[in-house]
Amino acid sequence: MAENREPRGTPVEAELDPVEYTLRKRLPHRLPRRPNDIYVNMKTDFKAQLARCQKLLDGGARNQNGCGEIYIHGLGLAINRAINIALQLQAGSFGSLQVAANTSTVELVDELEPETDAREPMTRIRNNSAIHIRVFRVTPK
Amino acid sequence: MSNAKERKHAKKMRNQPTNVTLSSGFVADRGVKHHIGGGKPSQAEKQEPHSGTGRLWQAKMTSHSLSEPDGNELCSSKVMFKKKGGWKAGPEGTSQEIPKYITASTFAQARAAEISAMLKAVTQKSSNSLVFQTLPRHMRRRAMSHNVRRLPRRLQEMAQKEAEKAVHQKKEHSKSKCHKARRCHINRLLEFNRRQKKNRWLETHIWHAKRFHMVKKWGYCLGDRPTVKSHRACYRAMTSRCLLQDLSYYCCLELKGKEEEILKALSQMCSVDTGLTFAAVHCLSGKRQGSLLLYRANKYPRQVLGPATFIWKSEMTPGDLATCRQLWIWLHPTLKQDILEEIKTVCQCVETIRLAVDVPNPLLTPSQEKNQTELSKERNGKKRKRRDDGEMAGPIKKVAGDGTRDPLQPRSWVSPTTGILVSDLTMEMNRFRLIGPLSHAILTQALKVAAVHTEEEGTGETPHRWWMEACKNPDSLSLHRRQEAIFELLGGVTSPAEIPAGTVLGLTIGDPRINMPQKRTKALSSPENCQDNEKVRQLLLEGVPVECTHSFIWDQDICKSVTENKISDQDLNRMRSELLVPGSQLVLGPRESKIPILLIQQPGKVTGEDRLGWGSGWDVLSPKGWGMAFWIPFIYRGARVGGLKEAAVHSQYKRSPAIPGDYPDSPAGILFAEEQARNLLEKYKRRPPAKRPNYVKLGTLAPFCCPWEHLARDWESRICAQDESWVSWSPDGQESTSLGRDVVRGAAEPKRASQAPGVPEEMMHMECQAHSGPRRARDPVLREVCIAASGTQLCVLRSRKLLKQLSAWCRPSSEDSRASQRARGGCQEKLTREACLSILAHFPRALVWVSLALLRKGSPEPHTMVCVPAREDVLQLRQDRHYCGPQEPKHSDPFKSKNLKRQQRKHEGRATATELAAGEPVAELEAPTRGLWSGPLPGVTAHCSRPLLGFVTQGDFSMAVGCGEALGFVSLTGLLHMLACQPAAQRGLVLLRPPASPQYRFARIAIEV
Repeated sequence: MAENREPRGTPVEAELDPVEYTLRKRLPHRLPRRPNDIYVNMKTDFKAQLARCQKLLDGGARNQNGCGEIYIHGLGLAINRAINIALQLQAGSFGSLQVAANTSTVELVDELEPETDAREPMTRIRNNSAIHIRVFRVTPK
Repeated sequence: MSNAKERKHAKKMRNQPTNVTLSSGFVADRGVKHHIGGGKPSQAEKQEPHSGTGRLWQAKMTSHSLSEPDGNELCSSKVMFKKKGGWKAGPEGTSQEIPKYITASTFAQARAAEISAMLKAVTQKSSNSLVFQTLPRHMRRRAMSHNVRRLPRRLQEMAQKEAEKAVHQKKEHSKSKCHKARRCHINRLLEFNRRQKKNRWLETHIWHAKRFHMVKKWGYCLGDRPTVKSHRACYRAMTSRCLLQDLSYYCCLELKGKEEEILKALSQMCSVDTGLTFAAVHCLSGKRQGSLLLYRANKYPRQVLGPATFIWKSEMTPGDLATCRQLWIWLHPTLKQDILEEIKTVCQCVETIRLAVDVPNPLLTPSQEKNQTELSKERNGKKRKRRDDGEMAGPIKKVAGDGTRDPLQPRSWVSPTTGILVSDLTMEMNRFRLIGPLSHAILTQALKVAAVHTEEEGTGETPHRWWMEACKNPDSLSLHRRQEAIFELLGGVTSPAEIPAGTVLGLTIGDPRINMPQKRTKALSSPENCQDNEKVRQLLLEGVPVECTHSFIWDQDICKSVTENKISDQDLNRMRSELLVPGSQLVLGPRESKIPILLIQQPGKVTGEDRLGWGSGWDVLSPKGWGMAFWIPFIYRGARVGGLKEAAVHSQYKRSPAIPGDYPDSPAGILFAEEQARNLLEKYKRRPPAKRPNYVKLGTLAPFCCPWEHLARDWESRICAQDESWVSWSPDGQESTSLGRDVVRGAAEPKRASQAPGVPEEMMHMECQAHSGPRRARDPVLREVCIAASGTQLCVLRSRKLLKQLSAWCRPSSEDSRASQRARGGCQEKLTREACLSILAHFPRALVWVSLALLRKGSPEPHTMVCVPAREDVLQLRQDRHYCGPQEPKHSDPFKSKNLKRQQRKHEGRATATELAAGEPVAELEAPTRGLWSGPLPGVTAHCSRPLLGFVTQGDFSMAVGCGEALGFVSLTGLLHMLACQPAAQRGLVLLRPPASPQYRFARIAIEV
């Protein structure tokens, strides 16, 4: 679970003196996850993530408690991979899967930890793009 | 073979009745048959002639019947006998020897005697073993010794007798009191108090003792690990759910006084080099918890005492310098004594206050029995109050205890000059730690903010006067509302890592026992709580505002009253049972206790690149006496409990140093290492020499301890010896490996000399010193360094600036250029000789805390050696990605012949060898342990084929990363040397070798700041 997080985005050039502050990036704000939410990261193997999505979709078709649709979320660098996974799923489904993509902007928090006693800790907000792809099953005509 | 047979026979015959003799063997048997004639058929009618046992019986009978006069009696059942064919009658046949008749009475008499003899023989046990033990293995059943009915019916009677005997024996030393009397509340308390005289119990002790392996440590009884198999489950709880720990054994020191006085005093004990100090702005305001390293006054960078966390009490009126500030310093119990003494020294606190607030009444002490004396010392306020009420019935429940301090000792000290009051608040509070993302959900569900006391509820009878007062004040009431609002917001945050590190939140809550679920549930963070509104954003960015950190827990009197006025579990349950609707919510109204608590966010993993925020959580501080009242509700909300082992796993996965084991330069760390070495040695010696690793042959000099001093000294002398080589050293790290080999060879020479068995060890030691002496003097700069070093002791590099620099140098430069650039920043120096020398000049014998991640296989363990890879290892790794690593060749055992000689000498007299180096846990006074290096260690760095760089202190397979991970220290000198020698792309590659294995494994070194 700890690994299942979005990679951090491109670094903002620190205009602050590194002698006075250390940059610590916080993890993106997390929402509670449904079982059919998949957060794509750059650390896990691509094939493994694809297989995981496939399994969720297939399992959903067979047993009733599964899910007919999944949401693939990708943040920053992982957007590419999220799209890739969704398209691969679609290509491998012989037309039974459809995708619908949404994009959004995620606020990320950078914490600036002071190195000297006299300074207050600061936080900066930086934006990063994210994609949320809904992959769902359609009955082929 | 025949001998054994005879013995067997003798055993068989031992308990035979005298009138029955057992003829041995078949031949005798036959002979008897031949001789008598009439004997044989006479038995045939008495017994069923089984072919197997029959022969034996026959032998017995026949031999006996020799004396009988009924030799020629007629067998009436001759036909039957023949038909059945009980035994083969031999070549001559049986028919002609059968007697004509027998007399019934005499025959029966004789048989009766025989039968009685046989019965006697059967009932008598042949050995002194238990009945069930005489059964053959295939007939034994589980719990046979316990349950008689599991035995075969024929043995049950005997077993019954035995069991009764055992019961009687047990009865003799039973307790004087009956079970009921022993279970009586007061008696149990007395007993409990007696049992925790030496090692104090935490409030959750009994809960833990039922579920955990308990250890006696640091003056407490602590749960080490759960008895259930739960290593992985606890890891999962930390990662995705919630792990609960009782950290009440942590010690709290309170400093009261003027802000600038406290800061002035304490600034001697810490350094800005190591990070923020007590004076950090956000900590000083009371908004955040701070953490730092404490040193002996003005001794930085040497003589570290240990790490500590601290919280300042927030000021109600900021900016007022005259007000008395309050500071809590939280410490590990092993560090407490040293740090307390040091704080007392720097604050010039000399006057002891005999329990400033509650002076013990001297009259009480002699009148009470011992337990109660102790008790009255522990809980003076309550005791005295009770006494005044005339409640002398018995000792009340001892809520607090402190294992790190003698109960009779003072716990407060004041300084006449600075006006600082230092008091020891150990065990005055409970500290529970919740780790994991669900800790928010558990906290918000288990704790309910206290109801505001309204005017119409009446005033007189309530014991919670302080809360009434607070509710009258509109300011504090609005503050309470704000705290409540923030606390509710927490439920919508899915991970504690999203809150700023060290955030403090004060609260006043209602009794957590009131709204307990009926049975254990799992708290889950609900999505509807997670509204991403402006308030949550504010909380995540700014943390809790300063005012909301206020809590009444800082006030000792309120805490005391809260502890005293706790409704006991018994009363609460009684009230619950008296409810009109069983199972409905208990409403106590104004009688419900209000408990001030403090919530402190604990940052998880903040350093490094991966798994940020892992293991973050909240600490809950509650007044003493309320431990179980918080503990059970947390568990009922789905928290899993971990012990010391889980705490170690947590700190290891967080890659943070463990206390006190990872502070080898602090007194507590040294003590810890000694104790650990002793235990490991004992464990090692318990095994026979053939069944334990021979560390001498494996080339492991110190399998049980890490000789840091040796290591640092060796590296220093090694570099001094090779100082001229540093001149020819190029900054790009392209210099020859032959140089490196020279280093190895050069350092190996004194080692070989010291290995010579004949020379007394002390002399060798001197020699080594003498060797390194002249070498030092070559370079003027280095000489200075050496002079500075010779007087100093070991220290660990903790300056953040230098660590950052080292961290950048440790990274392979070509692999991730962007990351390294980012880390380096603008002013980062290159790895040059000058830079190295300047660092080494300040820290000649320093260690660096590093984390190591294995590249491929291998799971390191503590005391694993960190070694410098040779050039060819790295080359081979580059060619073959699946290359595991080199192997250490087998070493010769120079002690083997010595041991033999010693054994021979032992016969003549006492061996007079006193080859023992001071402070060597491996060395022994008497015969050296086989398989261990005895005597002083030779050059540790060059003992093996790869030069030794350092040791691992914590290491295991990391479930968080999925490969082996280790934490440990390396010599700074050695590290710089290694980094300089390695090409840029392979920088930071090291080899790890566990003490009991010849296999080296590749690992990557990283310094996380």
